[in-house]
Amino acid sequence: MNDLAGRHLARGVDHAAFPTFDPVGTVRFYRDVLGFPVVHSICAAGWGPDDHPDFIHFFFDIGNDDRLAFFYYFGLPRPTSDGKGDVYARFDDSTPDWFVRSRHLAIHVDSEDALTEYRRRLDLSEWPVEMQIQHETIESIYTHDPNGYMVEITRALRPVTPQEDLDANLTIDALVDIAQREGHTMDDLLTRKAELIVERAPSWEVRV
Amino acid sequence: MSRLYVLDVPENTSVAKVAGQSDGVQVDKLGPYFVIEYDGPIVIDRRATGCRHAVWYSCVAGLAGGRIVQWDKNALRVDPR
Repeated sequence: MNDLAGRHLARGVDHAAFPTFDPVGTVRFYRDVLGFPVVHSICAAGWGPDDHPDFIHFFFDIGNDDRLAFFYYFGLPRPTSDGKGDVYARFDDSTPDWFVRSRHLAIHVDSEDALTEYRRRLDLSEWPVEMQIQHETIESIYTHDPNGYMVEITRALRPVTPQEDLDANLTIDALVDIAQREGHTMDDLLTRKAELIVERAPSWEVRV
Repeated sequence: MSRLYVLDVPENTSVAKVAGQSDGVQVDKLGPYFVIEYDGPIVIDRRATGCRHAVWYSCVAGLAGGRIVQWDKNALRVDPR
């Protein structure tokens, strides 16, 4: 054991990386339309095994010192499979849209003005906002980048409260418990959560 | 006896309030949760709560002694098990 044991040491997203077959569109979308600066790139020639193509690994600043990165491989043919999805993952037409869209990147902004500004930039581009959703706690805009990756820009309408973090932990503890049972349902989850609420309530009373 | 737990956040207060307007339904607090309790069916009218979809369909934090038999755009109904 050392003094780092048990501490939350991670500091955000260094980078999330995706392949692209359209570096021109990708640079237009992220740098020229959204205004995310290019902050780093690696030109890798003859790197890796013999059959590994030369590639460019390039990065955009998405705020907060976090970065979104792409790989462009010279000469690698774009997969030609049909169906739904993006250049990395394709699904047949019977796959529900909500499942395909469930994997996406959401970038945070602090204000309504910032969200509106990104909406304006996208709507003037080849990649206009496809959907704007506001509910009681968040507001988001969505589009797909030139690679077919779904991108969300979102703002919180109020800060997350400590009791929501507490509730989230109960949800996940309950989920881990019931997800190991065959045929588990939402009813099982809510029942397990109620048990955990009762079990843990004495410690909350002390703290409050 | 059905017991429904609802997290006390601003968007959910109307859920507990509307539930408590039915005869016999008790609403208490346990830590950060409202506890809505009744020995018969608990029926909460969505329109009366003013909740829209995202909050409405995520307002239940826990369930004891009851079973959700309706949870749609009109109402949430919990019957005793």
